[in-house]
Amino acid sequence: MTTNSNIMKLQNFNRQATYKTYGFMVVLMMALFAFNPSYSQTNERTIAGFVANEDGPLPGANITLEGTRIGVVTDGNGEFTFPKKLKTGDVLIFSYLGYETQKLTIDDKTNYIKLELTPDMVEMIGDLDTNTPYKTKRRKQ
Amino acid sequence: MHKSLHSLLLLLCVGYLNAQVSDFDHIDFKKADRIALSYSKEGLRNLPELAHKLTADLTTDVERFRAIYRWVCANIANDYGLYLKNNRKRQRFKNDSLKLDAWNTKFRQKLFKKLLKKKRTICTGYAYLVKSLADFANIECEIIQGYGRVSTTNIETLDLPNHSWNAVKLNGKWYLCDPTWASGIPNPKTNRFYFNYNDGFFLADPRLFAVNHFPIAPKWWLLEDNIPSFNDFLGAPVLYGNAYKYLELHKAPKQMHHKIKKNESVSFKYELKAPIKKETIKLLLDNGFGTRKTPPSSISIDDTTLALEHQFDKTGFYDVHLYLGEDLMATYTVDVKSN
Repeated sequence: MTTNSNIMKLQNFNRQATYKTYGFMVVLMMALFAFNPSYSQTNERTIAGFVANEDGPLPGANITLEGTRIGVVTDGNGEFTFPKKLKTGDVLIFSYLGYETQKLTIDDKTNYIKLELTPDMVEMIGDLDTNTPYKTKRRKQ
Repeated sequence: MHKSLHSLLLLLCVGYLNAQVSDFDHIDFKKADRIALSYSKEGLRNLPELAHKLTADLTTDVERFRAIYRWVCANIANDYGLYLKNNRKRQRFKNDSLKLDAWNTKFRQKLFKKLLKKKRTICTGYAYLVKSLADFANIECEIIQGYGRVSTTNIETLDLPNHSWNAVKLNGKWYLCDPTWASGIPNPKTNRFYFNYNDGFFLADPRLFAVNHFPIAPKWWLLEDNIPSFNDFLGAPVLYGNAYKYLELHKAPKQMHHKIKKNESVSFKYELKAPIKKETIKLLLDNGFGTRKTPPSSISIDDTTLALEHQFDKTGFYDVHLYLGEDLMATYTVDVKSN
């Protein structure tokens, strides 16, 4: 019986020591985070921005989070607030029909994005196919 | 030993075969087509989302690309008015590069606005949209600029590029397709465009493509050899969209225009996609005074190889149109002189 209670005391003591170690580690980690300058930025955060083209604000531009269907469209002033909180390393894809798609990686300092899309310099041409039979041009007969 | 040599030879042959849709014979495009056609009300305001809708439920890249291509062909109309206007301006400014550039910039803006709002465009718009959607689906795709030759092209003025199509990389190999010509054709009388999907332009054999598509950048012939010169191209027979439905290859003649003596013959050779009935093959001869439909003098069909010969027993200058049933396939001219 005595032996048993001694063992229990010992276990209790060990448990308390373990709690102390954990407690110390938690304090240490909190300290580490508190002094890490990038800590606040690695947290997810709301990102807003403004998209323009060569003529000014571009309403209707698509902004999508790479690898997802989550996205937003710029408003009448070319501005947007991304609906999901983003973190460093996330990639946003900016697109608009006729403009070069641009990718932008969120870095530690990104909070507000200003971006100008450039037109795709593709030359517009187009001949139609037709079922009209070929006809040789002949002199008047 | 003998067997392994055989398979090595087979492997080598396969390696040289041209990239075409038969590489995907084991894949049924029904599901991709069904998905494409189920999104007919979608607009172009959110291309990433559209690309997702079209491709998310498909597993192979060729099916994913198929859904994109089929959607574009079924939903984007050809704008004949825009096409005419662009042609006029390009011809007018062709010797003034500054004015041509300015026109191109203005026209590009106008065209993209029209595409976005009305889902109407001209060739480059089709090719551009296919590429944009493919980009969002992570499928490598390019716009090919070049010359397209159709029956109504005035060959003498084919001095500026007039057509755009696509190349797409699937399983490490490049393939060709033409979404504009696949989408439909204008009514010959009213010039109003109507949708009439032609599957023959999807991953067509580059050797057939080469008869009426001349890319500005030579790498987009996707041919190992026998690359046509521009003069070869201008001198080639006129092929119609129907040719892509029935033909795997147009083998002979390589030229459109022929000069022969009375009672001589012209030979034609084709590789068919599937065997056809002899009775359906007709030539329509037009000598400027009248037309006459006649079976060729001789027809030989060996599985999918079709060889024709026609003897001309009267002098004259003939437009010779090849028909399979009611479908016009190709046109040649034959100038028959007396002996």
